Amino acid sequence: MNLTDAIEALTTTYRALDDVAKSLPVDANEVAAALAKATPDTAEHVALQALAKFNPVVKPTKTKQVEVKD
Amino acid sequence: MAAPNKILPGFAASLWMQSAASPTPLTTANLSVWTAQVATIVGTAANGTGAAGTQLNVEAIPAFGQDDAVASFSVAGQRQSDKIPTQAAPTSMTITSAWNPSDAALLQIRSDAYSGTVDRTFVVAAADGATTIAYAFNGRVGEFKIDAQPGAEAKAVFTIHPRGGQYGWSNT
Repeated sequence: MNLTDAIEALTTTYRALDDVAKSLPVDANEVAAALAKATPDTAEHVALQALAKFNPVVKPTKTKQVEVKD
Repeated sequence: MAAPNKILPGFAASLWMQSAASPTPLTTANLSVWTAQVATIVGTAANGTGAAGTQLNVEAIPAFGQDDAVASFSVAGQRQSDKIPTQAAPTSMTITSAWNPSDAALLQIRSDAYSGTVDRTFVVAAADGATTIAYAFNGRVGEFKIDAQPGAEAKAVFTIHPRGGQYGWSNT
């Protein structure tokens, strides 16, 4: 889902933000980038915080390759 | 929603509401926004602007939050049963004010109670000097009665029923 549309949905709803945010599929990296730029104490910031809660950025972890020996 | 990022060592609490007869309540997201949203309901006495709000002169701010709700299960032969929390309703706020038939805010509350369908944004503001922490919520008035006993001043008693999930914290 487009992040702009998701923010619009969250800033205009009268439902609980968590309920709405968990049903909006958005890109976690896009949310994190927008949240970093958003101005605190705005509806957009509140909406992005709700989205970030359900769309956390998952960093890939480095693991050693396991050699399989016959 | 974000928690308030201020700590008040001591504060005075006051109750505010949107002043229009048929207000548009703040959206859930805006209930957590102080600047230009919650601040317009809170008066200057509590560090807001008060352009769209008025104070409710109440005797005390009642408890607010969430009621308890559980589903109880039991198994025959077991000593202890189980209580599982279920969907809890917001706590209804029963409030007492000195009855003043000239108080525009109380008359508005009475009008809302007669209607029963007016959604309005209310704000509990805790102010300490220049800092204010606000709990904003949307609610409807469900009860209004005047207790005019001869031995004391007349009281207006009303109940605000907050709408589920429509609340937010903000601060200056």
